[in-house]
Amino acid sequence: MSLNDLIQLGASLVAVFFVAWLVKRMGLGADPRIQDADHAIRLAEEAEAGFNGIEVARDRAGFSAIVRNAGGRMMLVRAHGNHFAARPVDIEVVGRLDKDFLTLTMPEKTFGSVTLQLGKEAGMWASRMRDLNCG
Amino acid sequence: MDKLPDPVVYAVPAFILLLIAEMVISLRADKSRYEARDTLTSLMLGTVSQVAGALVGAAVVGMSVWVYQFHLFDIGIAFRQWWWAWILCFFLDDLAYYAFHRSAHRVRWFWASHVIHHSSQHYNLSTALRQTWTGFFSLTFLFRLPLFLIGFPPAMVFFCAGINLIYQFWIHTEAIRRLPRWFEAVMNTPSHHRVHHGVNPRYLDANYAGVFIIWDKMFGSFVAERDDEPVRYGIVKQLGSFNILWAAVHEWVGIAKDVWHAPWKHKLSYMWREPGWSHDGSRATSATIKERWAAGRPAEEPAE
Repeated sequence: MSLNDLIQLGASLVAVFFVAWLVKRMGLGADPRIQDADHAIRLAEEAEAGFNGIEVARDRAGFSAIVRNAGGRMMLVRAHGNHFAARPVDIEVVGRLDKDFLTLTMPEKTFGSVTLQLGKEAGMWASRMRDLNCG
Repeated sequence: MDKLPDPVVYAVPAFILLLIAEMVISLRADKSRYEARDTLTSLMLGTVSQVAGALVGAAVVGMSVWVYQFHLFDIGIAFRQWWWAWILCFFLDDLAYYAFHRSAHRVRWFWASHVIHHSSQHYNLSTALRQTWTGFFSLTFLFRLPLFLIGFPPAMVFFCAGINLIYQFWIHTEAIRRLPRWFEAVMNTPSHHRVHHGVNPRYLDANYAGVFIIWDKMFGSFVAERDDEPVRYGIVKQLGSFNILWAAVHEWVGIAKDVWHAPWKHKLSYMWREPGWSHDGSRATSATIKERWAAGRPAEEPAE
């Protein structure tokens, strides 16, 4: 790489960080929440066509939800930036119950772990996760 | 080899100004069109892509010049004398781009390189700059080689490719809804390209055009944007992460894992079959997603 290339790269990086800073400074962005059970089911359906969710455990703040279909399969939906991302809740997902909170740790490290405040429902959904391991 | 300037370098200031203009429009129209971490990811991916391109640029040019020595026709580069060849080159380069782009969505090996560009759930001008790091490794330059064999000088082809790339920048926006009907009929537009970035089953695997949408209409891959179905952007399995490295290599990692675990007779298929293919049918390709979606909806009127 020549000096000219390095200068060009340096200028590009300055421009990149300036634009990203400007996006934040201008207040662009959103605070996406899962509004209700129907919204969670729609998001799960968008993530997997034909999923057909029937039951939902929604985090109290609406950051995430677990959606279950008639076949017993579950899908975790969580906010990501201005949008949402989803992953199936299968045998590889680790669930940890702490009173009203259920934490799901996904096998995909970049997706991370998600803690849902589910109130009294937390125990029931934790038990469903345990059933996955038994089944 | 004749030398021509790289038009993309001259377009960069305009890219930045248009980006800021689009941000100002978003501030009034819809703040959710931008997200700082997403924009930073897109722009960093674009910057590293430029570095990767510079590192392998000499090899690509070398290969082009080598292939060019077997050219069939003698075509000059002087515009006054060879203006028709310039126009023809631009058209054929766009056709080559269509072939590349369609393959990039239908063959997992090429998709692994191209997926970077689709990995944002946003659709704005910063998305346009979210470009591949591994284009050379995935051999995508092969699609342009026939142009050199015909006899178009490498400098002419690379210049046309640069113009093609510049054209594709401005169509990555939600700020422009529709353009005049005649323009939408011939050219790739923000509306057509929004469809291309869509993950709605209706919109999957459509509109591969670079500059001229006519290729999609000719080869049956055109889908019109519908006002009653807003486009959802990204990839079928959304990344759910702003990790730059992961965005760049996740599909390559996926291929490596699949090839490692697959039975011997299926190993190659995990590289050359369509994204989502699996030997036991446990995953969904775009075709199966479309089938499931079609099965669960009533018949409807076609789009205008």
